[in-house]
Amino acid sequence: MKLRILIADDHELVRRGLAALLQSHEGWEICAEAKDGREAVDKARQHKPDVVILDVGMPNLNGLAATRQLMQQEPELKVIVLTITDSDQVIREALDAGARGFVLKSDAARDLVTAVEAVQRNRMFFTPRVNDMVLAGFLDRRENTGTTESPKLPKLTPREREVIQLLAEGKSSKEVASLLNLSTKTAETHRSNIMRKLGIHSIRDLVVYAVKNDIIQVQVPSRTTAEGPAA
Amino acid sequence: MPLRILVADDHPVVRHGLRTLLGRHDDWEIVDEAQDGVEAVEKADRLRPDVVVLDLSMPRMNGLEACRLIRKNVPESEILIVTQHNSPQMVREAFNADARGYVVKSEVGRDLVAAVDAVSQHRSFGRL
Repeated sequence: MKLRILIADDHELVRRGLAALLQSHEGWEICAEAKDGREAVDKARQHKPDVVILDVGMPNLNGLAATRQLMQQEPELKVIVLTITDSDQVIREALDAGARGFVLKSDAARDLVTAVEAVQRNRMFFTPRVNDMVLAGFLDRRENTGTTESPKLPKLTPREREVIQLLAEGKSSKEVASLLNLSTKTAETHRSNIMRKLGIHSIRDLVVYAVKNDIIQVQVPSRTTAEGPAA
Repeated sequence: MPLRILVADDHPVVRHGLRTLLGRHDDWEIVDEAQDGVEAVEKADRLRPDVVVLDLSMPRMNGLEACRLIRKNVPESEILIVTQHNSPQMVREAFNADARGYVVKSEVGRDLVAAVDAVSQHRSFGRL
């Protein structure tokens, strides 16, 4: 039986590239594709993949929040997170959410097949550029504190993480309510709770918080330099 | 004669994606790939492709600079910029650098083939 893989990235070019890479491997098939985290969660429910490959920086529901929902939905699922950043916090959150693999997008052509092979054999995979010390630091911290939660982040519920991303993307409470099947009043309550927990008082501060904590990713054009943002 | 295309982007996965999308067209051939602006200019000089599909944000030399140089060195090669940046200023700068077409990466599924087709016939593609 073929290994069924779902890929989720908001860029069609990246999805095409990932599909081309993975389909060339005998015994693997792409059973579904998704453009954002919410679609990934829905399609995983419908198509029952063995492996899900998720971009971190996706609209509506980012890859980390989607990983949490996927793991809740299907704890045996193998999730590989793709990211443009190897920040300590993103790695920690990906592991905390239950991801079994972590691959930098820039290394995906080289590492993704190996990562899928690893998770297929119930192992974990981390792109070599993910600094060993970061990982060691994460594991140490977990042993010492008995928790994987970042000490820097106030405890937000999974629902609040969804709401904060949507608000930071510029959606109104009414739009948030509609996307998450909530009443507007409940969406507004989530918004107030988030602001109280984070100690912030404006949407501008909320956006800053979301960017700083990799809940949303903002790409700024570089006119003269070579700094290449995401694909 | 197939249309000869050089693909330049610093992300290998994106190059795979471009290959897949462009490879669907029978008469188009990807003659090579480049991973930065310097390599794009060198390969355009050597291979003289009909179309160069060029990302803007690349290491060593960005796409605008590469675009200017390729147009200067190989005037018969048309440039199609394929980028995530969609600001009007970027589009203007690309056309000022003598690109023939401009496609935003989020729209490649809809626009890429039409854009390559247009620029290969020396017609502009994209907003000004």
